[in-house]
Amino acid sequence: MKGILFTFALLSPIIGGLIYGLERKFKARMQNRQGPPILQPFYDFFKLTDKRALQVHSFHSLMGIAFFVAAWFAVFALLIGPNILIAIFLHVLALLFFTAGGFSVKSPYSVMGALRELAHILAAEPILVFAAIALYLSTGSWNIEGILTSNTVPILQMPLLFCALVLTVPILLKRSPFDISEAHQEIIGGAEIEYSGLFYEAVYTAKWLEYIFIGVIVFLFGGSNYLLGALLVAATFLFVWLLDNATTRLTIHYMMKFAWGILLPLAAFNIFWVAIWR
Amino acid sequence: MIAAEILASILLPWISALVIYVLNNHRVSVFLTVLNFVILTIIGLHLWFSVNNPITLHPPHLVDWLLLVYDYGLLLYFFKQGIENRNPLVSVLAVIQIFLLSWVVLIRPHSEVPNIYIDKLTVFMYLIVGFVGSLITLFATRYMQDENPVREGEFVAILVWFLGVMNFIVSVNNIEWFFALFETTTLASYLLIRFRGDTVSVNNALLALWMNQIGGITILLALLFAIHKYGITHFSQFGEHTQLALFPLAFLSAAALVKGAQMPFHRWLLGAMVAPTPVSAILHSATMVKVAPYLILRLSPFIKGTLLAKLIVVFTGFVFVVTALLALNETHFKRILAYSTISLLSLMMLAGTIGTPITITVALMLIAFHAVAKALLFLEAGVLEKRYHAKTIYDLKHIINKAPLTVFFILVGFLSMTMVPFAMFVAKWLMISEMSELLSKASYIITVAILAIGGAILTVLYLKILGLTINRDEESFRVKIEKLPSLYTIPNVIYVVLILIATLFINTFLVYFFAPITQSIIGYIPPFCEGLSVCIKNLQLPFWQIIIAFFFVVFFPIIAHYIHFKTDRTAEYSCGEPVKPRISTYNMVCLNKVSTYFESISLALFVLVLVIGGGML
Repeated sequence: MKGILFTFALLSPIIGGLIYGLERKFKARMQNRQGPPILQPFYDFFKLTDKRALQVHSFHSLMGIAFFVAAWFAVFALLIGPNILIAIFLHVLALLFFTAGGFSVKSPYSVMGALRELAHILAAEPILVFAAIALYLSTGSWNIEGILTSNTVPILQMPLLFCALVLTVPILLKRSPFDISEAHQEIIGGAEIEYSGLFYEAVYTAKWLEYIFIGVIVFLFGGSNYLLGALLVAATFLFVWLLDNATTRLTIHYMMKFAWGILLPLAAFNIFWVAIWR
Repeated sequence: MIAAEILASILLPWISALVIYVLNNHRVSVFLTVLNFVILTIIGLHLWFSVNNPITLHPPHLVDWLLLVYDYGLLLYFFKQGIENRNPLVSVLAVIQIFLLSWVVLIRPHSEVPNIYIDKLTVFMYLIVGFVGSLITLFATRYMQDENPVREGEFVAILVWFLGVMNFIVSVNNIEWFFALFETTTLASYLLIRFRGDTVSVNNALLALWMNQIGGITILLALLFAIHKYGITHFSQFGEHTQLALFPLAFLSAAALVKGAQMPFHRWLLGAMVAPTPVSAILHSATMVKVAPYLILRLSPFIKGTLLAKLIVVFTGFVFVVTALLALNETHFKRILAYSTISLLSLMMLAGTIGTPITITVALMLIAFHAVAKALLFLEAGVLEKRYHAKTIYDLKHIINKAPLTVFFILVGFLSMTMVPFAMFVAKWLMISEMSELLSKASYIITVAILAIGGAILTVLYLKILGLTINRDEESFRVKIEKLPSLYTIPNVIYVVLILIATLFINTFLVYFFAPITQSIIGYIPPFCEGLSVCIKNLQLPFWQIIIAFFFVVFFPIIAHYIHFKTDRTAEYSCGEPVKPRISTYNMVCLNKVSTYFESISLALFVLVLVIGGGML
């Protein structure tokens, strides 16, 4: 199993790209459009390499690269590392570089995007930590292999928490109604706006890794039932894409109220209930 | 030999303080603070290896009487300060203290229990005071040159003396002595906070005075009850009684909560920032507030698992989250640091109260590395103030263009409190894992939620401030690293190096440094495994992840300063709008509406700790 997980982690940018391609296709079909080919993200990727590299300053560019490397490392830590909680905090570390890059340039959109990104972290991180705790609570293991081989199916114990997690996915992936930190019509991509060419490539690919990161966490809620896990992942992504098509952007206040007022209590209640019940 | 060393670590700062005060000479101050740093650290390290079992000392009875006389003098001084500054509250509290102290003296039994009790926890505090605290006094010598050279001797002397008081308070076993020294730390902070002498300073000093006097009163009440019911006059005697009423423990814990500036009493620590910055540094890191978790750790074996412990957990947990939230609303750099100190102190006390081997270790780690990180950050705050005239976080905008080294130090200071793989992160991670373990046994259920939420808030808080500092307008290699006076830089460099070493070799520290202290507190050693990877029970943080994360957090910022991609440059895009880029940050004013509710709730919880935790209901 270790080998499979390692290979998966190694290939995660490619798989993430494929998921992104699928997403664009699905969303287009939902809107009755033809949509781009599934490999379109990779065509874009290669096109970006041809572009003339431009940068605002080296610190900014380096932070973009650091974002990609750290995000990949977080995926590695999640898939082969011995502790999923550490992986979640490493994911925050990756976002730290993203926000640092956004903050480092004198562009109002970039800084505003980075600030909004902080709100995303504030909204999503506790729920991810809760998810890890829930997985530990139901499987008794912090280790991905332990979770994947345990006898219990976490989602059966943690349905409310799983709902909260699914609703956190748009916050993490910056999808409507919570695409606040990107908000193309408002702040033109937020913290990514000042990247271009090769350096944008890093940020662009790092965002594919986010699919893998959240996808794996969702998958773990199937426990040792991999088919269920795969179904959960598929259902989650389909739901999020549908939601993305069907809703309009909310404001940051709504997001915080929703995450802290509804999702957190929901997740916490589920964990507490399971703890008391046994 | 050991007795002499203990005596030296208590008396050396007192004597050097006297010399510094009398001579009032910059060179002498520098020499003596360095001497203190070296000797206290060496003694601390030596004691660390020699004190394996608790060591007790019997100072002559004369000391007892001297301390009593001193105590009355001190309380009369407080009384006088209350009258002079027209603050009746201070005077009334002093009178109450005098009354209670006299009562204690009347009913106290003759006791042959040793008055000085040294174990690994004490030596641990010696090391923090000696290593972290002395460097702050060294910094202060230079700081006062910039601020007010005439009063340098006076200022540095109080700081150095404070270290001696701190070393004394962690060595005592006699609760009455503890009270005397508790009030002495109050006196020291009072003198330091009103050092500048303007109206605001004096008012804030009086605020700190009366709030801490409440802590003194609760100690006396606890002592009175303990003597009356059980004849207990010393901390070590708590262990001899199995059926102990919670009243004295609750009131001693309350003293810790006050000293630790927990929520209804948080204003004194916020007010303390009107003093010169080294004062904040020393109050927040090595002395004063660290008495709080120290006292909780001393009491931890006796209150573990009781209703009192649960109430303290609820109270400190609430304060942890709420003060972290309120920090988001602040714009003053030092006030933000103060709120984050209060928040982390709650976490330390929470961990200490729960009292399992891992949480005790976590509390110790937080005490040690919070001391280093906060000392570093406050010294940087001093540098920012004196060199760059930056006081609010808005003054920090673009400061990386002027002061890359300072920004790097601030970055290490902030990230070391929250981010993978720093020692304090390891502490929080261990804490969350241990709480999940307890959660699966259905005890201390809500603490995981507290930890997850509070941790996220603090992360965002630190990133928010860092974001303002790193906004830059040109290639970094063109920015020269700033030159600062060496007395400004040396302490900070030492702190940063210590943080970085402790981060890399965290498991070595855990196994050889923290675990033995835990053992001396609760008699059980947490089973950390050898090697460089952190692992205990089913938890693992492998070394390769530490190394890689370390590379990211520490080396990337350094590389980022020197690296230069040779690609074409472009101006910021900004959609072609001719806006002048002005950056700012969130200031969560919505929190202003609820802050009074937070205070009311915390006051209610504090009363609950006293009333229900003290078994008065």
